[in-house]
Amino acid sequence: MKKRLNIRISGLGGQGAVTAAHLLAMAANKAGLYSISNPFFGAEKRMAPAESYCRIGPERIYDRGELVYPEVIMVFHPQVITLQKSYTAPFYSGIKKNGLIIINTSTDLLTEEDHQRLDDLNVAVYDIDATSLALEIGGTELSTNMAMIGACAGITRVVSLDELEKALQDRFGKKYVASGGTATLDEAIKKKYAKKEMLLKKNMDTIIKAYEIATEWAQNQKQEMAVQ
Amino acid sequence: MNKPVGVKEKGVKMSQHVKLGQKNKKGQVYTDIVDMFNMPEPPSFLTGSEVIRDAVKVASIDLSVAYPITPQSEAAALIGELYAEGYLGDYFRGESEFAVMGQCAGAAFGGARVFTTTAGPGTLRAFENFPMWAGARLPIQVCVTCRGINSPLTIQPDTLEMYFLLETGMLIWHAETAQDLYDYILAGFMVAEQPDVHLPIATCCDGFFVTHTKDTVNKVPDEVCLPPYDPYRSPVPCMDMENPPVRMMRDPFVMKSNYISYSTHASWQQEVRAAIERSRKHTIRILGSLVETQNTDREILIVASGTAVSQSREAIRLLEEEGIKVGLVKLKTIRPFPHAELREATANAKAIFVPEFNLSGWLAREVKACIPNNERVHAGPQVGGGMTMPLEVIAEEIKRYLGIPTETLASRGS
Amino acid sequence: MSKEKITICEDLADIMPPEYQELVATATYGKEDRGWRDVGSSKELIESHSLCAGCPESIAFRYVMASVPAPEDTVFVGSTGCTSLVFPHVAIQNIHSLFGNQNAIASGLHRALKVRFPDQQKDVVVLAGDGATVDIGLDMTLQSWFRQEKFTTICFDNELYANTGGQESGLMQRGFVSKMAPAGKLFDKVRLPEIARESGCHYVACLTVSKPNRVEKVIKNAIYVSRVFGPSFVQLYTPCILEIGKQSMEGLDEMKDAESIGGRFVFKEYMTDEVKNFLKQKDDEDKARKKAAKNK
Repeated sequence: MKKRLNIRISGLGGQGAVTAAHLLAMAANKAGLYSISNPFFGAEKRMAPAESYCRIGPERIYDRGELVYPEVIMVFHPQVITLQKSYTAPFYSGIKKNGLIIINTSTDLLTEEDHQRLDDLNVAVYDIDATSLALEIGGTELSTNMAMIGACAGITRVVSLDELEKALQDRFGKKYVASGGTATLDEAIKKKYAKKEMLLKKNMDTIIKAYEIATEWAQNQKQEMAVQ
Repeated sequence: MNKPVGVKEKGVKMSQHVKLGQKNKKGQVYTDIVDMFNMPEPPSFLTGSEVIRDAVKVASIDLSVAYPITPQSEAAALIGELYAEGYLGDYFRGESEFAVMGQCAGAAFGGARVFTTTAGPGTLRAFENFPMWAGARLPIQVCVTCRGINSPLTIQPDTLEMYFLLETGMLIWHAETAQDLYDYILAGFMVAEQPDVHLPIATCCDGFFVTHTKDTVNKVPDEVCLPPYDPYRSPVPCMDMENPPVRMMRDPFVMKSNYISYSTHASWQQEVRAAIERSRKHTIRILGSLVETQNTDREILIVASGTAVSQSREAIRLLEEEGIKVGLVKLKTIRPFPHAELREATANAKAIFVPEFNLSGWLAREVKACIPNNERVHAGPQVGGGMTMPLEVIAEEIKRYLGIPTETLASRGS
Repeated sequence: MSKEKITICEDLADIMPPEYQELVATATYGKEDRGWRDVGSSKELIESHSLCAGCPESIAFRYVMASVPAPEDTVFVGSTGCTSLVFPHVAIQNIHSLFGNQNAIASGLHRALKVRFPDQQKDVVVLAGDGATVDIGLDMTLQSWFRQEKFTTICFDNELYANTGGQESGLMQRGFVSKMAPAGKLFDKVRLPEIARESGCHYVACLTVSKPNRVEKVIKNAIYVSRVFGPSFVQLYTPCILEIGKQSMEGLDEMKDAESIGGRFVFKEYMTDEVKNFLKQKDDEDKARKKAAKNK
């Protein structure tokens, strides 16, 4: 990759937006790229807006904090758009020309005006029903974040499936340090699957499936995307 | 006093009560800090909180006291895990930052190497303790993960609390990245504990930007550790009833309002300030310098500390693409303030920008007070309330000075 | 610190002040049966004090210093107030840091000494006034008891802020007219001994300093208990004769009045059964030892 990829993730507390950013960054780190990830610094609560950021690039990254001008925006929950559970209005403010927006939804959530403005910036919009995919393959909606990073990797190719798997192992395969709320959720996930191995496999399967679908979509796109 | 010291001279003066090469009860080998820094591990990808834990693990700390306040709570809890694993002598949760800093003081009076962490409102609640630490010559290290302190409440990064700390008599260092933080925590003990320094040290970093951000860090192997603190090298007696003098004054002068009490207090304050200056040579020996400079021959310079340095590095790249050349001076230590280094680095600059993560512009004031022709100093850009400082904003500030038209930046929410 | 450590090297002996020389010659460091009877004949570790003439606090200080079981291994923690004017005269290391944080300092100190001297008994004793203990420092006083920190807290209760000129304190009696309580104090004297008992102190005593043998016993009990069980608390009435309008020679009478039946400072002691047995056993051992020494 030639230039920096800035990814902004908007979701709701409990969806794993922070974990998603960390996983993408760790995968990039495994790939020998430079990366930095951080959450929006708030008192995160379940179902309240949550945001995280991931910066990946071929040279040392210093920039940190809230990402104001992203190339990629991921929306983890329809309420980010429909109920304005977003730190910005509209949720895509600051998106760069030729950028990419990935939305977890089963229907189009954007208004005519939104479409027009994004078209003017040549921003591609990819709707994916990540929650259904997570339920179907991961067996829990808690794997929605896996589907989303799979889709992101499938389109941008910023990290490979192999590197994502390594990051997943790092994150869940060994003891990981997370803030109170995140640690509790991890425990919830672990209990649900009973076995850690199973958890890792199902999450990886979710990532792979989303990666494949998104890859196919990207190949059919006629649009020039800044993110590839 | 204050003789120049050959900075290339390897090794930092340390206690003789343990020999380098000996092992502690966890099997870690006591190692000179310069040697430690020369044996890096493969890079790790960690948050700042994890980095604090990993530095503490190899710092031979006797005691740490914890109290929850965002954004240092994770780090403080992780130190507890190290205690459970046997890396610290004692660890507990205090009841408030004022109490915690008192507990740290008690332990340091008793001859322990002490580490704690705090942030924002916690720093201010603890405040009465800091000048007391300095006056009592307690080489406690507090890691300050800066957070806004004004009402309305905020948990976001804002470096205003550092302004309050400047005249406490503590050493104040400002880490740019998780790597800096790791290095400074280890170096901090070695510098603060030197007999001719022997002062508390605040190793500051910007909350969240460092503590909650995952970044690449080169650590030292866990199999080595700093040599332990030797309280009998302290310039004031350790309060353990193991060393004379016990006090037998006929007339305790300090609490009386007479000439000798004023004189004692005044000279002691001067001594504390002199001790801060004496820390320079030790810091230079370990960290190489009090500042880091890049292209200071350029007409436009940025002077910054902490995360503002990182944002400036990116802004400089951005401007470079447009043919605008800007140099950089990063301040690692704020106390001692690198006067000579800064005057030298800014000698040829026509414009000096000081971006800051607070609205008081304290660093710009420090810079202005230090260099000649200080109308060259442009205080800004400044962000408050924990906002991010996009590189585009720094670049815009410089372009405006150069008279280059800029597009008004679309901000979030517009 | 053993007596050996304070011994002066010969070359410097003649320039050391007489009080230090006397300390070396007659200090009761390491003397097993030291107590209030040493006052006057031996060194009770205190030089001339800087309190008001006739201040009961000064004699309380002497009794406490004479009663501490192992001064050579004891560190005191004080707080701002009249007591902090005395400590520079005392031949025991003392920490004065701030006003009200004495129990926090002591918590850190005794833990550090435990880490550094795991096989040695080091006693930490807090000695502070009522303002420091009950008002500004109450949080830290109580929290150290909740945490079961193993040190003794002594409160010199003079029922007001003496060093700053006689302001109302939480331990002042209701109705007393003082600075900052111009219409008389509106609430009751805080029941600190009971609070201490409920907060986890294993041994609590409240008394005046009119009877030196009783003070000695209580101080020793408190320190012995803190070594084995956890926190202990001693509240000593040391009236501020100046602020209650008494003459220098009237301090003792004031204390005797306060401890007579119905008074505020009738002697009381709280301890658990476990502690009672422990102290009884210790008493018996002491008696047996003294008897054996006598018969020798």
